[in-house]
Amino acid sequence: MNSLLKLSSLIDGLTERIGKAIIWLVLVVTLIGAGNAVMRYTINYSSNAFLEIQWYLFSAIFLFGAGYTLKRNEHVRIDLIAGRLSRRSQAWIDIFGIIFFLLPMAIAVMYLSWPIFLLALHNNEQSSNAGGLVVWPVRLLVPIGFFLLVIQGFSELIKRIGFLQGKCPDPTAKTHQPTPEEELALAIKAQKGEL
Amino acid sequence: MTEFLIANMAPIIFASMVVFLLVGFPVSFALAANGIFFGFVGIELGLLGPQLFQALPDRIFGIMNNDTLLAIPFFTFMGLILERSGMAEDLLDTIGQLFGPLRGGLALAVIFVGALLAATTGVVAASVISMGLISLPIMLRYGYDKKLASGVIAASGTLAQIIPPSLVLIIMADQLGKSVGDMYKGAFLPGMTLTAFYVGYVVLVAIFRPRWAPALPLEARTLRGGKLLLRVLTTLVPPLLLIFLVLGTIFLGIATPTEGGAMGATGALIMALARRRLSWKLLRQAMDTTAKLTTFVVFILVGARVFSLTFYGVDGHKWVEHLLTGLPGGEIGFLIVVNVLVFLLAFFLDFFELSFIVVPLLGPVAQALGIDLIWFGVLLAVNMQTSFMHPPFGFALFYLRSVAPASVKTTDIYWGAIPFVCIQIIMVGILIFFPQLVTFGLDQDEKVDLDSVQIEMPTSDYGAPATPAGFESPKEAAVSPADSEDAASKAVRDAMKQDQAK
Repeated sequence: MNSLLKLSSLIDGLTERIGKAIIWLVLVVTLIGAGNAVMRYTINYSSNAFLEIQWYLFSAIFLFGAGYTLKRNEHVRIDLIAGRLSRRSQAWIDIFGIIFFLLPMAIAVMYLSWPIFLLALHNNEQSSNAGGLVVWPVRLLVPIGFFLLVIQGFSELIKRIGFLQGKCPDPTAKTHQPTPEEELALAIKAQKGEL
Repeated sequence: MTEFLIANMAPIIFASMVVFLLVGFPVSFALAANGIFFGFVGIELGLLGPQLFQALPDRIFGIMNNDTLLAIPFFTFMGLILERSGMAEDLLDTIGQLFGPLRGGLALAVIFVGALLAATTGVVAASVISMGLISLPIMLRYGYDKKLASGVIAASGTLAQIIPPSLVLIIMADQLGKSVGDMYKGAFLPGMTLTAFYVGYVVLVAIFRPRWAPALPLEARTLRGGKLLLRVLTTLVPPLLLIFLVLGTIFLGIATPTEGGAMGATGALIMALARRRLSWKLLRQAMDTTAKLTTFVVFILVGARVFSLTFYGVDGHKWVEHLLTGLPGGEIGFLIVVNVLVFLLAFFLDFFELSFIVVPLLGPVAQALGIDLIWFGVLLAVNMQTSFMHPPFGFALFYLRSVAPASVKTTDIYWGAIPFVCIQIIMVGILIFFPQLVTFGLDQDEKVDLDSVQIEMPTSDYGAPATPAGFESPKEAAVSPADSEDAASKAVRDAMKQDQAK
């Protein structure tokens, strides 16, 4: 179990690092989007490459972000029933969900999307739009993203089992980092204090 | 047993989806797993072809290159930056001073600023928190009724859901196969009407229960006369500029909603920089929240698409259609039942879940009944807005509670929200019987025609007539409409076309 927990913290570290990197794509895609729009009106210049890079980046955000969001436990749940159960029962629900929902689904998508990437690579697939980009890299995002989701799923599974055995802390316990809403409230209060 | 399964596959899948979701595991994975599990069952039973899952990567690819969904991170990012830029605080302070000496004036200021914030930040939580921290204490200090004060704050905060550029409307447009621009135009007048109703309620209270909403003494103003006027004007400039940059360009047909979102987010960054509110920490936090929100929203959609692959494969949509077209009262009967259903579901599901799971099932039925889908989408959006304010689960109430002083009891907040929930229900009723409120804002003929969905998508919203040909973005010209269409919804429409032809 201890070596599994070590593996889990390795995976967590990788996921965090990827997450911390991909959030910058939000800024990049915003600036490209705005730049493209402004150029289109002002100097009447636009290129399909600019439009396509936006959805490439968008895809990278949510595909690479899937494992990160899972680690932060921020995928939306309906906690109508689960919210009233004990932490241990919730850990059991997660173990059940990871084994029967998340892993089969993510592995299936990974398995099904890989040949499509290979085909695109083999044919050196290009965008059908004039001046567009190469397509195979974006096809590769799908299997990679779902692979990251699968390994993070394993890590979460290990942490839930570890928690039930009392070998690691509750993985879903709220971290002490304030939520964006709390940060906003603090900022306004601070501002009022200065006035 | 097998025969029973085959005959009742759609209801069984639907029922098990409900069970899967209630388990409390993330919605996206539960939905997708449900689709994959029953896909295998269906293939085993010979209901579905073995090539079913070959379409799955295509489905995901269709989500990735969806230009509409790209607007989600843009508008989220814009809202997150803007909420911390200090714009809301300035607005509340200045407009509050302007209207304060009027009876009910502070409440009116809250509604006015709520609508302005809705058209810019579009984040319910942020509006409610800002108002709860800035306006609520002032209202309480000068003797406002606690219920009225908290109700008006919670309700004004939820305006962000219905006034463009709201995320709900983007998702609704995507799910119903309409352009976001049209959805925005359709929602504009209902959003304004709703704001007017809130104002009407406060005015009535001020007339009949003056003690609930007293006028502030003139001494409460720190600025007067010309200085106040100047301050009001300068505070209004940034939000109005942003509204023009985002909504103006979309409404005029100059920009697509996605471009509007990108420019709005950049504008918000510039504004926050100019106000010296932008720090690395804030930027990282906003990007982090945007990335996570985008991920979970898009993943619900991924789950829903995998689910629908199987569900539509076993003709589940036809089952739902039979169930709902058979309702008495035709179009009106359908709308009433659907709205009651959504109202009740909104107690348990948030609007992302409702729009991705429930709306795709209802959309084709509405279309088959000849209901304008923009009207339908706006109607549902107003309905879902209610879910933010009905006690005890409403998010707006929850956020207000978290910042309200202890002297405001939780029951005050709950009771204060009730009149506004009633206004909301009245608004839904009005929209059902007066669809003109929605369709009035749409310039082109919106008579629903099965083919128009596919033709409209690439053109209507980019305002082809308004811009010189050279200004058009090259992509629109190059991408055939079918590319951006979801294969399944196309199949549904094709099937319905055949049905109609018969």
